[in-house]
Amino acid sequence: MAAAEKIIGSRIKRREDPRLITGEAKYLEDIQLPGLLHAAILRSPHAHAKIKSIDTSKAAKHPGVVAVYAGKDFADVNPMPCAWQAGKVKNNVNTPRVLEIDRVTFTGAGIAVVVAEDRYTAQDALELIHVDYEVLPAVVDAEKATKSGAPQLHENAPNNIAVEWTCGTQDATDRALKEADVVVKQRMINQRLIPTPMETRGCIAQYQAATEEWTVWMTSQAPHVMRLLMTAFVFGVPETKMRVISPQVGGGFGAKIFLYPEYCLMAALSRKIGRPVKWMETRSENYIATTHGRDHITEIEVGAKRDGTITALKVNTYANLGGVLSTIAPGIPTTLYGRMLSGTYRIPNIFCHVYGVYTNTGMVDAYRGAGRPEATYVIERAVDLVAHELGLDPVAVRRKNFIPPEAFPYDPVILNGLKYDSGQYEKALDLALKMLGYENFRKEQAEARKQGRYLGVGFSSYVEICGVAPSAWIGLPGEGWGAGLWESANVRVHLTGKVVVTTGSQSHGQGHETSVAQVVAGELGISVDDVIVQHSDTLGTPFGYGTYGSRSTAVGTVAVYNSLQKIKEKAKLLGAHMLEAAPEDVVYEDGKVFVKGSPDQSKTIQEIAGAAALAYSLPAGMEPFLDNTSYYDPPNCTFPFGTHICVVEVDKESGEVKIKRYIAIDDVGKVINPMIVEGQVHGGIVQGVAQALWEGAVYDDNGQLLTGSLMDYAIPKADFFPTFETDRTETPTPVNPLGVKGAGETGTIASTPAVVNAVVDALAPFGVKHMDMPVTPPKIWRVLQGNGG
Amino acid sequence: MELTGSYLFEADQDTVWKLLMDPDAIAKAIPGVKELIPVEGEELTWRAAAKVGFAALSGHYAGVIKMSEVEAPTQYRLTVNGEGQQSVIGGTALIKLTFNPEKNETLVHWDAHANISGKIASLGQRLIGAGANVMSKQFFHELAKQLPTR
Repeated sequence: MAAAEKIIGSRIKRREDPRLITGEAKYLEDIQLPGLLHAAILRSPHAHAKIKSIDTSKAAKHPGVVAVYAGKDFADVNPMPCAWQAGKVKNNVNTPRVLEIDRVTFTGAGIAVVVAEDRYTAQDALELIHVDYEVLPAVVDAEKATKSGAPQLHENAPNNIAVEWTCGTQDATDRALKEADVVVKQRMINQRLIPTPMETRGCIAQYQAATEEWTVWMTSQAPHVMRLLMTAFVFGVPETKMRVISPQVGGGFGAKIFLYPEYCLMAALSRKIGRPVKWMETRSENYIATTHGRDHITEIEVGAKRDGTITALKVNTYANLGGVLSTIAPGIPTTLYGRMLSGTYRIPNIFCHVYGVYTNTGMVDAYRGAGRPEATYVIERAVDLVAHELGLDPVAVRRKNFIPPEAFPYDPVILNGLKYDSGQYEKALDLALKMLGYENFRKEQAEARKQGRYLGVGFSSYVEICGVAPSAWIGLPGEGWGAGLWESANVRVHLTGKVVVTTGSQSHGQGHETSVAQVVAGELGISVDDVIVQHSDTLGTPFGYGTYGSRSTAVGTVAVYNSLQKIKEKAKLLGAHMLEAAPEDVVYEDGKVFVKGSPDQSKTIQEIAGAAALAYSLPAGMEPFLDNTSYYDPPNCTFPFGTHICVVEVDKESGEVKIKRYIAIDDVGKVINPMIVEGQVHGGIVQGVAQALWEGAVYDDNGQLLTGSLMDYAIPKADFFPTFETDRTETPTPVNPLGVKGAGETGTIASTPAVVNAVVDALAPFGVKHMDMPVTPPKIWRVLQGNGG
Repeated sequence: MELTGSYLFEADQDTVWKLLMDPDAIAKAIPGVKELIPVEGEELTWRAAAKVGFAALSGHYAGVIKMSEVEAPTQYRLTVNGEGQQSVIGGTALIKLTFNPEKNETLVHWDAHANISGKIASLGQRLIGAGANVMSKQFFHELAKQLPTR
């Protein structure tokens, strides 16, 4: 089908952009309702404390204040559920309440709320609430928190261990390490990051007492899941009693997946007061109360033969989960981390042990990449450490260990039954090396060193896991996810031939309204302008699990594709009827049904849609209308891969790192819109590079967040980067009929180790083999001065 | 957080000591404070409310000020516990006086340790050191203005 191939894969501009760039799009903050009240939340200034008493009387009398509540006023509202607990092990679960009642375990936990006629009054009245605390000792380091004598956060979690989880085989790995020619050990820190979307979180809840129904607007990546969790788990009412709407959402990066206490608090307030209540997070609240990401302390041991063949990898990780568990916190450093530690390599023996640990810090959950950046950092650093130890070229070690193309589908064993779908790892590496001009670079590097200039090159040949699904694999019997992970879509061809798609996925910057429309236009042979994609409202869209884990294309859009096939089948039957031909003789091509070989006599999809809607003459037994709903549960995840290369120059005097070149070869399977994929890759690279060089959340020993504002937390700016050199190979996945894998997180996953490897390579003449992130100028300067390497 | 500093008064040690122990003079000198109200039943302890107007620290604060380890006229310890701006501020300073008879000057030196929790800790940490220096200077400058005229 010529037209289809043309639209699917073409660089059309995003259809959502005109409303976004002209300011017409409506974000949560733009929503106003009659009688709307505003809430402000009093947050604990202490990281660990008992709440002895709360006096709200003065605040309640403040002019303009409608109500003031503390945690005890919501004792009848259940705590937030932890929906993804690590599979097949005991999880010691403690989750936040809408407001904490007698104890806080991190700075920023909500303990009281003021509802007022305007936001400023609500904020001012917070100052009038007096809280008497008994301050307790705090612990912020995940490893220290597990040692004896550490402050204990929760009665049900001895030594602050929320979960202890392993994957792989310990005995075989220990044996292989013993037998290895060389064993390299390294401790590495994957520092805590704070997702910083342009739009902070927010929520408006409106309760209708007569019907006992809520409408809740929230900045969510997963409105259907929010509705389910709020109704069934937190309030104990049928999910039909709530409608959840995500308006335009200004970025999420994972942090907007979760069910936060504030959303449930707004719902509870609206029910108590009888008026709609709004809360919009300030930027400082965003830093202390929205989930953070990463924060691993890891010890690794890699065993290898002299020729660079890796024989064993042993990993022990302390994953900091914060003071209480966020919605899917335990699943991130277990399934999405440990199970991806084989990377792009054949590693016969792997063992990974993870402690998920409570500390007096903000909640940690999925942040762009979620577990895979941490895994990729471990394995891509490990390969470079082996190369360094053996005096081999890091590229040669990668080649030596790559899973070859003929080995797919490849079972890395630690994936607990799933297999890598397809891959051509060396092809992507070769393309990247060609773009770099590797041999010339090494000459240039040697020449520069003679002149006292320090160039470095870093590689990252990654594989990640996307389209996270098979419900039977991820769900309770397997990896512990407390639900399924299929997606849904409805496709309706209206009387005029215009198509409306509703999907359970949620778009908060990914351009679904464009890429999904491209698939519809391509499959049905119509114009993209004739397709509307609706999402993000539980009223009018079929249930879906939402957008995260790069799954909207590989799972959600496949549901759309499946509905399109069923609609085309029905259109063929009706078209044949209209042409007075036998159904088996007709074909559907370029938006028309005709008898094979006779395209002159045809019925267009618009004519057929009209006939189906009017229903004056339908084949016997056929229902009116072209309308189909699909639920798609894939048989496997998808595994995008590629090679990223970073070239840096380190300034000997100042320790500053300049990124000279950044090359990204990604293979995300079939591409629906290359421009959207490039946008995703660029944004991802920026976030991943930022972790390597600049970003990092810092708590002091008392659990105070020192990087709590945009003045103190480093967010990269465009001029920190060179022009990215991107290209791709295209290895379709056999998992789904579109051949698509997923492109939302590859940049973040691949880039971080590429940059650190480059800096370490640049500093090789100084005897450096590893540096912890962020690799800032002061750290490098100390190394160059000969202390602190 | 550790803060140290010093201020030179052009006065003899006894005069400066009296000034430093005078709650009314201190109240006048702390920016934004109107008065120090003695806490009943506790020695050398006062309650204070302050309005601060310095960058991220701006806002209303309330707290308790206590003097201890008093060794007239050479040193005492000043302990402050306050809250405001959804933050808790605790600090203690050891204040020492040294007299230079040649110039009839008294040097006041302080070694302070501050604990800051909540919003201010995460918002203004980098500014607090600078802010504290500015405010200390202002405080002693205002105190010095109250020295008896010579």
